[in-house]
Amino acid sequence: MSVDMQATAPRPTAPGRGTWSLTWHGLRTVTVLELRQRVRSTRWKTALVVWFLVVGLITLLTTGAFSILADDPYNDEPFGGIVYSIVVGFVLFLGLLVAPTLSSGAINGDRNAGTLATLQVTLLTPAEIVLGKLAASWIAALAFLVASIPFLAWALAGGGVSGLALLTTVLMLAVVLGVVCAIGLGFSALVGKTSGSAVLTYLTVGGITAVLPIVFGLLAPVTTTTEEVRVWDVEAGYSWEETEAPDCEWHTRELGVWHSERTWWLLAPNPFVVVADAQPLTDDPDALLDDGNMLAMLQYGVRYARTGPAAEYDWCSDMVGTDSQSPVEEVVVTDQLVWPWGLGFDLLLGAAGVVVAVNRLKVPTARLPRGTRVA
Amino acid sequence: MTPDGGIRAQGVRRSFGPVHAVADVDLVAAPGRVTALIGPNGSGKTTLLLLLAGLLTPDAGTISVAGADPVTESYAARSRTGWMPDVFGTWDSLTAREVLTTVGAAYRLDAAAAAARAAELLELVHLSDLADQPAHVLSRGQKQRLGMARALVHDPEVLLLDEPASGLDPRSRVDLRVLVRQLAAQGKTVLVSSHVLTELDEMADDAVFISRGRTVATRSVADGDLPREWRLTALEPSALRRWLEESGQAYRSEGDGPAVIVELADDAAAAALLRSAVGAGVDVSSLAPAGGVLEQAYLALEEERR
Repeated sequence: MSVDMQATAPRPTAPGRGTWSLTWHGLRTVTVLELRQRVRSTRWKTALVVWFLVVGLITLLTTGAFSILADDPYNDEPFGGIVYSIVVGFVLFLGLLVAPTLSSGAINGDRNAGTLATLQVTLLTPAEIVLGKLAASWIAALAFLVASIPFLAWALAGGGVSGLALLTTVLMLAVVLGVVCAIGLGFSALVGKTSGSAVLTYLTVGGITAVLPIVFGLLAPVTTTTEEVRVWDVEAGYSWEETEAPDCEWHTRELGVWHSERTWWLLAPNPFVVVADAQPLTDDPDALLDDGNMLAMLQYGVRYARTGPAAEYDWCSDMVGTDSQSPVEEVVVTDQLVWPWGLGFDLLLGAAGVVVAVNRLKVPTARLPRGTRVA
Repeated sequence: MTPDGGIRAQGVRRSFGPVHAVADVDLVAAPGRVTALIGPNGSGKTTLLLLLAGLLTPDAGTISVAGADPVTESYAARSRTGWMPDVFGTWDSLTAREVLTTVGAAYRLDAAAAAARAAELLELVHLSDLADQPAHVLSRGQKQRLGMARALVHDPEVLLLDEPASGLDPRSRVDLRVLVRQLAAQGKTVLVSSHVLTELDEMADDAVFISRGRTVATRSVADGDLPREWRLTALEPSALRRWLEESGQAYRSEGDGPAVIVELADDAAAAALLRSAVGAGVDVSSLAPAGGVLEQAYLALEEERR
C-alpha cells in the first residue's frame, strides 16, 4: 500500500523541516551573514576602539587614584579589589548600554531594509534565522568583553582578587550580555520600528537592574513585622551618668524586624548581583571594607538580605568594651547562592525573547506588525 | 487529478484589517509558459505574489505552487519557488558574489556548489565584472539583475517576478526577456507582474488581469488571433482615407496625425488589408499593431470599469 502511494506520488509532500528544526549549516549561514554585515560597517569598529579607550582610561584613573593611597606607608592594603570591582562594574554598565543596540534592530531593521523576507523564503527555518542573529549579536557583544579583559587582568595584578573570581566574573558577564541580546531580539521581532524595540529593551534591562531593587527597598515597610526579640542589653535601670560600665543581661523587647529573606529574590535578577554573587564567597566579611571590593560587598549584602534577621540582638557588648564575651552569635551570611535564581530568571526572559522572535518569523504569516510590509 | 506543476490559485483572499488587498483571485499559470500578472497600482499584485511565495497566509482559498501548498507544505513549496520582490533590499556590505553564495547556503547548497552556482548566475545576468564589489555600489538596474539571479539560485520550478523590468536599461530588458523565455523553454513556470505592458507583450504567453484584488480577465497573448487595433500610414493620407471609405473599412484618426487606426480581427485580416490596399494603388508606408495586445486589453478593461 505504502509502496503504491510512493509510486503514484510524484514527489514527497512531507512538510520538511519544522519551525524549530536547527542545523549547524543554517545557523552558521545566518551568523556569518550578520557578522559580515556588521563587521564591515565601520561604525562597529569605531565603537570597539572607543570602548577600549574608555575602559582603559577608567582603569588608568582608578589605578592612579588608588596607587597614591597605596603609596601611603600606613596603608598597605592591596588596592586590586577596588580597582577590579570598579572596572567590572563599568564594563557591565557599558555592556548593558551596548548590547541592546547590537540586537534590537536585527529583525525589524532587516524587515525595513527588505532583506528579512529574502531569508524567510529560503529553506532556513525561523529558529535558524533567530538563533543565527542571536549568535551574531552575542559574538559582537563578546568582542567588547574581550576588549576589556586586559584591563580586568591588570586590575587583578593589583592583588586581592583571585583568578577564579576573574573567571566567574567574565563568564557571568558573557551570559548576561547574551541574555540582553536575546531580549532585544524578541522586541525587534515584536515591534515595527527599531527605535521602539531599542527603547523597550532598555526599559526591560533598566527594570531588572534598577526598578526591582527599588521595589525591594519600597517593600521594606511591608516586610517589617513587630516581633518579640531577645536582646542582650544593658541592665535594667542603668543610669548613663554612672562611671561604672553597665552589666549586660537578656531582655525581651518588641521590635520591628525586617524580613528581607522574603523579598531578596527581587535583587537576584539584577545583572550586577548575578555577576557579583557568582564569585567565590569571601571568607572574612570584616576584610571587605578594608579591601574595598565593591563586588564582594554587593555579594555580601545580597547574601545578608537572603539570610534575614538574626534571632537575637546584641545592644550591649559595644558599650562595655570589646573584651567582654557576648552570648549573641554573630550573623553568618548564608552560603546559599543567589545568582542561580537571578540568572535563571534572566535566562527565562532571554528564552522568551527567542521564542517570540521565532514565532514571529514563521512563514507563511497570518499577521504583520502594524505599518510594515512583508518584503 | 490536478496536474502537478505550475501555479494554481482559487478563490484566494487576503485582507489587512479593513483593506481587502486580495479579494478574490483565480489564477492558473502553466509550466513552460510565461504568465503576465497585470493590474493598476494597488490592485493587489504584490500581495498576491507574497501569498504565492508562501510569505503570507491567505484568509480563504487554495494555492498550489509546483504541487505543494505554501501553507501546509511550506518547506516543499519554498524549495521549488523562486521569488523576486519588487523592492530589492540588499545586504549592502556584501559583495554580489557573497549575496548569491549566502542565498545558496540558505537553500542548503554546500559551499562548493553555492560558489559554482553564484559564478554561473553572475555570468548569466552580466554582473561578473562587478562580482566582488559591495552590493551598495550597484545601480538600481544592476541590483534588479542581482535580485533575478538570487531568485534562481536553487533552480526553482516556479518563478515569481514582481516588476522585474523596473529600473532596467533597454539592453538589460532585452536580456531579461531572453532569459525569461529560456526559463520557460526549460519547462519552468514564470509569473511576471509588470506595468510595462509592451514589455510583457513580447515576453508573456498568457495574461491574468486583476483589479481591486479580483481576477477580471484571463487572456492568451501568444496566439495571433485576437482582435486588436493596427496603425496604418500612407504617403498620401487623403488617398488612404478615401480608399478605406470606399472599401467600407471602419477607421478612426489618431489625433491630428496622418495615421489612422483600424480594428482587425486577426493577423490574417491585417495581411489581407495590406494586400488589397497595395492592389488598389495606395502607397502604404507602414502597418503595425497599435500598442500591444495587453495594453489594448488592459485599456478595454479600464473602460468597462468606468
